Amino acid sequence: MSMIELDKVNSYYGDSHILFDVSMEVREKEVVALLGRNGAGKSTTLKTLAGVLHPRSGAIRLAGEPIHSLPTYEIARRGLQLVPDERRIFGSLTVAENLKVASLTATDPWPIRRIYDMFPRLEERKESRGGNLSGGEQQMLAIARALIRDPRVILLDEPFEGLAPVIVRDILDVCRRLVQEGPTVIIVEQNLRAALSLAHRVYVLNNGHMVFTGTPDELKANPDVTSRYIGI
Amino acid sequence: MKSSSLARWMPEIIVAVALVVLPLVFGANSLDLLTRILLWGLFGLGFSLLFGFGGLLSFGQAAFYGTGGFVTAYLLTGNVIGNVWLSIVIGVGAAALFSVAVGVLALRRVGIYFAMITLAFGELSYFLENSPLSHFTGGENGLPGIPAPSLQLGSFKYVFTGSWPSYELIAALFFVGYVLARFIIQSPVGNVLIGINQNPGRTAALGHHVPGYKLAAFVLAGAYAGLAGALLGIFQSYMPPSAFALDTSGQLVIQTVIGGAEILLGPTIGAAIWLSLRDFLQQVPVLGDLWKFILGFAFVLLVTLLRRGMGGELYALWLRKRPSGLMPATAAAHERLTPAEVVELLQPLTAPEDGALALDVQSVSKSYGGIHANSDVTFKVPAGALYAVIGPNGAGKSTFLRMLAGEEHPDSGSIRVNGVERTATDVTAAAQNGVAKSFQINQLFPHLTVRQNLRLGASGHYRGRIRFDIFRRADSIAAVEKLVDALLDELDLTQHADVAVDTLAYGEKRRLELGLALSSRPSLLLLDEPLAGLSPAEREDVKQLIKNIRRGRTIVLVEHDMDAVFELAERIMVMHDGNRLTEGDPGTIQKDSQVQQAYLGGIDF
Amino acid sequence: MPTLGQFLSQAFNGLAFGSLLALISSGLTIILGTLGVLNFAHGAMFMLGAYTAYIILSHFGSYAAALFGGALALFIVGIITERVLIRRYYDRPPQDQILVTFGLGIMLVEATRYGFGGLSQRVPLPSWGHGIVNFGYFFYPMYRVEVIAIVAVILIIFYLLLYRTSMGLIVRAGIEDPMMVGLLGIHLRRVFMIVFSLGAVAAGIAGVIYAPLSSVIPDMGEPFLVQSFVVVVIGGLGSFPGAVVGGIVVGEMLSLTTMFNPAYAQAAIYAAMTLVLIVRPRGLFGAHGRM
Repeated sequence: MSMIELDKVNSYYGDSHILFDVSMEVREKEVVALLGRNGAGKSTTLKTLAGVLHPRSGAIRLAGEPIHSLPTYEIARRGLQLVPDERRIFGSLTVAENLKVASLTATDPWPIRRIYDMFPRLEERKESRGGNLSGGEQQMLAIARALIRDPRVILLDEPFEGLAPVIVRDILDVCRRLVQEGPTVIIVEQNLRAALSLAHRVYVLNNGHMVFTGTPDELKANPDVTSRYIGI
Repeated sequence: MKSSSLARWMPEIIVAVALVVLPLVFGANSLDLLTRILLWGLFGLGFSLLFGFGGLLSFGQAAFYGTGGFVTAYLLTGNVIGNVWLSIVIGVGAAALFSVAVGVLALRRVGIYFAMITLAFGELSYFLENSPLSHFTGGENGLPGIPAPSLQLGSFKYVFTGSWPSYELIAALFFVGYVLARFIIQSPVGNVLIGINQNPGRTAALGHHVPGYKLAAFVLAGAYAGLAGALLGIFQSYMPPSAFALDTSGQLVIQTVIGGAEILLGPTIGAAIWLSLRDFLQQVPVLGDLWKFILGFAFVLLVTLLRRGMGGELYALWLRKRPSGLMPATAAAHERLTPAEVVELLQPLTAPEDGALALDVQSVSKSYGGIHANSDVTFKVPAGALYAVIGPNGAGKSTFLRMLAGEEHPDSGSIRVNGVERTATDVTAAAQNGVAKSFQINQLFPHLTVRQNLRLGASGHYRGRIRFDIFRRADSIAAVEKLVDALLDELDLTQHADVAVDTLAYGEKRRLELGLALSSRPSLLLLDEPLAGLSPAEREDVKQLIKNIRRGRTIVLVEHDMDAVFELAERIMVMHDGNRLTEGDPGTIQKDSQVQQAYLGGIDF
Repeated sequence: MPTLGQFLSQAFNGLAFGSLLALISSGLTIILGTLGVLNFAHGAMFMLGAYTAYIILSHFGSYAAALFGGALALFIVGIITERVLIRRYYDRPPQDQILVTFGLGIMLVEATRYGFGGLSQRVPLPSWGHGIVNFGYFFYPMYRVEVIAIVAVILIIFYLLLYRTSMGLIVRAGIEDPMMVGLLGIHLRRVFMIVFSLGAVAAGIAGVIYAPLSSVIPDMGEPFLVQSFVVVVIGGLGSFPGAVVGGIVVGEMLSLTTMFNPAYAQAAIYAAMTLVLIVRPRGLFGAHGRM
């Protein structure tokens, strides 16, 4: 069953046309990686899904229901959770408060115990203000904030960006555990190896157009796709 | 051209005629009201410059109104200076000086914060009048007994006392103030103010000293306020403490909004409406005491429904047919430029010697908190070359480019442009020194025409950081106009020259964005993702444009469109995690495994 | 040179006045931080609180009823204002919001002037507010001590609302990052109505408490409006701790400088505001880059 469907979506940033007739489909519990260079429109796709941007044409469906004209809070309430690329931790709130505010409108939030079991580092720092956390800890908190809402769909926007390699390894572990928990995941990443190690399927965007879809193996079998649209 | 110069003077002619005719039409009984309207109108001319054109909402203009009034009144009643005209001049000077002091502090902030600070200073001056300085100001009693001015011509002496002479004096000075304000609006200074209102960051990046212009507008408003205050005291023969009250600042704001802030006569129209309605309502039996409530309610309704005020809405309708409005739109007709002339005009103003380094960046570093955005980056670009900077997200390219443009300063290291140390430059100085950046997200002046946008850019270098050339029209600098024509030609925007920017298609806006960076005739041009958001066809256009404007110019390009990078750049620097990873020609970079790793993720999983 | 007793007495005055200012400014700063609206009608709301106290105390004589009535009246005024007026302005430039609340302030003041006349009304002290307290070095009016206590209690309630409730959590998160709050499923604008009303209530309660201390006239709110602007600039826009600390600091400055030279008391606080603007523009507790 299709959890997420984008149907010929055209998205703009101001009056800059970013996504051109983009179509995508993600099945329930699938992990899909959205690849492509900067400026290709990957982040824009996630923002359009989450309702931060509204498409000018085309349709978006979540478990069959159209969501493309709904406001962000409504989409979040229906179980689609975006972890934005700047993380956007509430710096003036503590870790515990960040988690609390995330859980307020969730119908069936995770018990805090379950979150802390998955992220022991966050439990250690639970009274620290968000602004005092390291980059890796902030990323963990951002993901934990999404998970506590027990979403059906999680959108991860560049979770490894700006993190030291050691931390990337930690976050990758977190992502693997996240994937095991069962939600449908779309991950946007420039780090190809990290993305491929998690994904069941990939989509490749180039200058706002969808140019390839397939499994990681199929992508590896098409090196010209990688060289033309990803990396250099 | 004769007919257009008559058109240019139409508003002044209409106002002059109105000033003569209105008291005749409405009779001697209306003189008091008309005079008061003109006093508020004079006060408002300066305020319209500050708020309507400059976008700065001040709630403390009473500070300068009162200062002008009380300094003048004190000089006259205290017998310090006998000459009324001289006292007025000193009063206006005092108001202007005070506004410099307040402006320097208040203009550090914008928007709500600015409004709060000006209000506080207005209240401070009210308090100063009332208490510590009451010896000079008469405290809560004010200063009575102000003599009327007189003009001595030979043996003939004309004293401005009585309804008609008072009206004549104030109408004459209002007219002078209006003509001056009209000059300012149509001058390059007025254009810069309008630019600051619509996009202050870009205005600064085009070489205009924004804080200086803002202070100038603030001081002008203060001077007009001071003159109006001085005349109030003379007109009433009494200077009231209420001149300093918040009520006075508030009334000015209300009248301006009612009449329309964006036109010079808006405050005058608003004063006419407010004061006439007040007089009228106070006569009505039941409503008498509620006049201010009714006017306040009407004001709230107006702000909610008619954004631009009554005068402003009418003006906006007129503007729809003439988007350039009061600003000079087209210069007088001139011959088309030949391609050779276009090339010549667009040459950089300063060019380094052949073989010299246009850009010499040594070991620059920049950190934000604990994040090392740039670490020890070295980059050298020879004159006339086109180099690209690429790298994955978070590599530090934007930070790097911002430092080159003067938007940020490195924590360590040095930047030399054409051999000159420019590490601690700011965007305005950078533009004046031949460095300009084109932005990733369009930074245009949306409510101006294409030509007006380019004129703002082209005039930056010709006029320098700041200049008060208020007595020339904005389109009267021949060299600037020719440059604008050359730019329009190069950008292929000539047919759109006189339409408002917000009606253009995205691709056209992007070309204009590049054009604005080009308009200061830089020798070093920084392009930040110029192809962002463009369709394939538009990409080709912009790539060709970049190739065209390369002549004699050094370009640093940041782009993600790799095809474009390999096509345009002679040499590429790759950044990763804030460091300079490697540098080489396109062929070498494409095959470099380290670079591949950086983009695709350098860790084994 | 003032005696120790005079000094302490003035210090208490500063605390009493400062705590009222802290309360008023807290309301202003919360509205500003959450909604981004600078409420120029805030002084008028303070005035409405004082008049509500006048009406209730004239008819019922119960101070508690006056406090409750003032809070309720301003809560209703706040709800109506937000729903009918402020709501239309969230997507408009900040200057428009200033203009409309300024106009609203005029309306409220003039309507009150029409209803009650311009003459000042006297509001009696509550029965337990009479008398003086002997502090050893000086004698001090009882009511003013009680003012400090009452305001302290109310500020503690506000603190608890802001820092110990879910609503407060949403408000504090919303002040920092409204978009992220929406991404977490919260309809922030629905909260705006409550926040605006609570801000109005803060001003109104301060008006009730202040009423017995001075004459109640339609223009009484204006000096408090301006002073609360100074407090918010010093304390930091959108910061509750900033408003409280700033309020007390400003109150003490006014009070203590009056002791030495009354004419310059007001100048002192504007000098302080100027100093903050130069040295630390975001205010004592303000966040970077909010405004």
